[in-house]
Amino acid sequence: MLQYTLRRILISIPTLIGVLIIVFSMVRLAPGDPAVLLAGEFASPEVIERARERFGLDRSLPEQFGRFIGGLVQGDLGRSTRTNRLVTTDLRTFFPNTLELALAAIVVALLVGIPAGVISALRPNSPLDFGVTFIALLGVSMPVFWFGLLAILIFSVQLGWFPVAGRGTWSHLVLPAITLGLSSTAIIARMTRSSMLEVLNQDFVRTARAKGLPDRSVVLKHALRNAMVPVITVVGLQFGALLAGAVITETVFTWPGIGRLLVDSIRARDYPVVQGSVLLIAVSFVLVNLVVDLIYGFIDPRIRYD
Amino acid sequence: MLRSTLRLAIALLVAFTLTTAVAQTIVIAQGTDAVTLDPHNSTDSPTATVLSHIYETLYDLTPEGEIVPLLATGAEMSEDGLTWTLTLRDDVVFHNGAPLTAEVVKGSMERFTDPDLAFTFAFLLNRIDEMVVIDDHTIEFRLSDTFAPFLAHLTHNSTAIVHPDVVAEFGEDFPENPVGTGPFQLDNWQRGERLDLTRFDDYWGELPGVSGVRFLTVPEDTTRMALVETGEAHVAVRVPPQDVARIDANPNVTVENVSGVRTIYVYFNHLMEPFDDVRVRQAINYAVDKELIVEFVMGGAARASDAPVAPGIFGYTPVGPYAYDPERARELLAEAGYADGLTIELWSPTGRYPQDIQVAEAIQGQLAEVGVNAEITSIDWAAYLVATAQPAADTYVPMALLGWGTVTGDADYGLYALFHSSQAPNPNRAFYSNAVVDDLLDAARTSPDPSLRQQLYADAQQIIWNDAPWLFLYSESQVVAVRDNVQGFIIHPTERFLATQASLD
Repeated sequence: MLQYTLRRILISIPTLIGVLIIVFSMVRLAPGDPAVLLAGEFASPEVIERARERFGLDRSLPEQFGRFIGGLVQGDLGRSTRTNRLVTTDLRTFFPNTLELALAAIVVALLVGIPAGVISALRPNSPLDFGVTFIALLGVSMPVFWFGLLAILIFSVQLGWFPVAGRGTWSHLVLPAITLGLSSTAIIARMTRSSMLEVLNQDFVRTARAKGLPDRSVVLKHALRNAMVPVITVVGLQFGALLAGAVITETVFTWPGIGRLLVDSIRARDYPVVQGSVLLIAVSFVLVNLVVDLIYGFIDPRIRYD
Repeated sequence: MLRSTLRLAIALLVAFTLTTAVAQTIVIAQGTDAVTLDPHNSTDSPTATVLSHIYETLYDLTPEGEIVPLLATGAEMSEDGLTWTLTLRDDVVFHNGAPLTAEVVKGSMERFTDPDLAFTFAFLLNRIDEMVVIDDHTIEFRLSDTFAPFLAHLTHNSTAIVHPDVVAEFGEDFPENPVGTGPFQLDNWQRGERLDLTRFDDYWGELPGVSGVRFLTVPEDTTRMALVETGEAHVAVRVPPQDVARIDANPNVTVENVSGVRTIYVYFNHLMEPFDDVRVRQAINYAVDKELIVEFVMGGAARASDAPVAPGIFGYTPVGPYAYDPERARELLAEAGYADGLTIELWSPTGRYPQDIQVAEAIQGQLAEVGVNAEITSIDWAAYLVATAQPAADTYVPMALLGWGTVTGDADYGLYALFHSSQAPNPNRAFYSNAVVDDLLDAARTSPDPSLRQQLYADAQQIIWNDAPWLFLYSESQVVAVRDNVQGFIIHPTERFLATQASLD
């Protein structure tokens, strides 16, 4: 198991190097110049040239890449061209907020999605099943910004139950977590339903029932556990997506997360921050996948790769 | 029994203190966070807003457009107009207790104009040749040439006075550790979320009526409005046009509409056909109904232009407008040889200025009525800036929507940069060139006589207006939602929002 874990970590290194090269060249291929943006819309060529020198943008691309990698191995991601703050400081400030929100959202998605899927699967094609399917469909198709704004207008402005925006207490977390977790909830519910349906028709479930085990135990112990493997894959992917894709929710609820940091820095062509954020998101994605693979092994001991 | 009574009393006392403390903090919701807290490096209005509470300039531009002393007590210009002697207040201390002296001012100005630091607005003071400290509270600025708007430039928030010792102490981290002379000092900054200021009790001037200011960063318009509606914020800036009526209907909130110094325009590239023909430029000015755009696209949050700069700026003279006249537009186009219409390319940013792309689409619709088929190109702001600032040999953007804030309150800043031929291609992206206008602008910038300057600017604006280098659109207003328990909140024409004299009922 340990050997397998180590191998998985080693395999992800080329992935991360690929990410580095792609993000480094992509930000520089995009039209627009951080020096122009920083120096202001109407700065003189001399001022722009000085700014380019200050950020090291006057150097050749290979040299810039070398300096970037050189800094990276020492844990130095450089300074933001926009704010002059250390990129590592920015990431330390913003990433935990995103993590907090994504965790809350995935908890919502699991608590609602899995029971909904199980209930659907137990009464396939019943009105209850149709109801869950309908709501799930709605959840996937509803635009996040629309749902978020609607939630603010109803639950904050009209009813006054939750604060409009910001971060701080648990009550600040409720609306953004539900908004962000909405589509994951729906996907997890659908996945649980189809996976459960498949498992419920298998021989070992019939055997369990034939042994006279109580229904509850058959469903929760025998069926659900076996139905979980594909669900966990989806949960892992969803969690990764939540980390990287929370920008709309973060914007609507004024949540200072890494998605907003990334979008702001792309707009400002703030190369060091874009590079740092994308790298961090990629690393977390790789880690989540690793954890998912390890969980497989626990749930289904047949899935061990060593 | 005694103990529980005591406990209750303490609890009540604590609760009371907490509520009063909270109630005295004014909460302002802005669309973006401050980028930096280094005033010399500040380039955007949300940053300038925050910094105006912490740092101060030598002179101040009042909301009414007057230039008055702030950290200075007065200024005297020499006969030849080359030397300005400024006297400073002697009762000013920085947040760290250090006194304000002429030496400090000199050091601050040297940093601001240091070419190696390449601050965007350093050009405001690039005429300073030498600074001489006369005594502790007197400093002399020797200029390379006479420059009438010198004091106006000293009102710009980027010229604020920092303490050189503090800059040296913090080095690269200076932007995180602001130490100014203003009425508030930094308490806590949660980036992207909120920034808290507390009152500086040793402030030299009148102490603010609130004990603190909290700036919230709320990019989403609807969320920002919801905050002021629920009372979680006292002030929300930039009310979107479609929300004005609804927010104003709230019994506890008033929507303020204050005209600003930013002009929005579409420039014509004079190096490209058909815009090298003045008749085409004028035709387009006649073909677009600015009043209609102001009313329906901007929701009233603007004022149709009648001059190249906005009212409230020194030197502004109403010389327009181009009244909406599609008949006249068709005639002019026919005279120019486009009786059968023509196709042009109109560039516009999306989301840089309020309603920008919507305004471009309205222009497109109105131009179609006179046979001009405008195709809109909209690219992201970073690329847009580069595309519209190409030198003469490479220029390829025929007409583009842009904005310009005359933030010094002096017409020199608005006219010289945009219409003097020496300023092409940037900021004069239209490549506008008129020798008479050049002469007038040169004379106005060096003349010490305000009434003469006023006349020179009036003449220049009349010629510019007739040459129609732009499709003159409107100057933006600042539409801000303020709760009714806020008194004395200043909505400054230079797009800053000041709680320095605010109090809460």
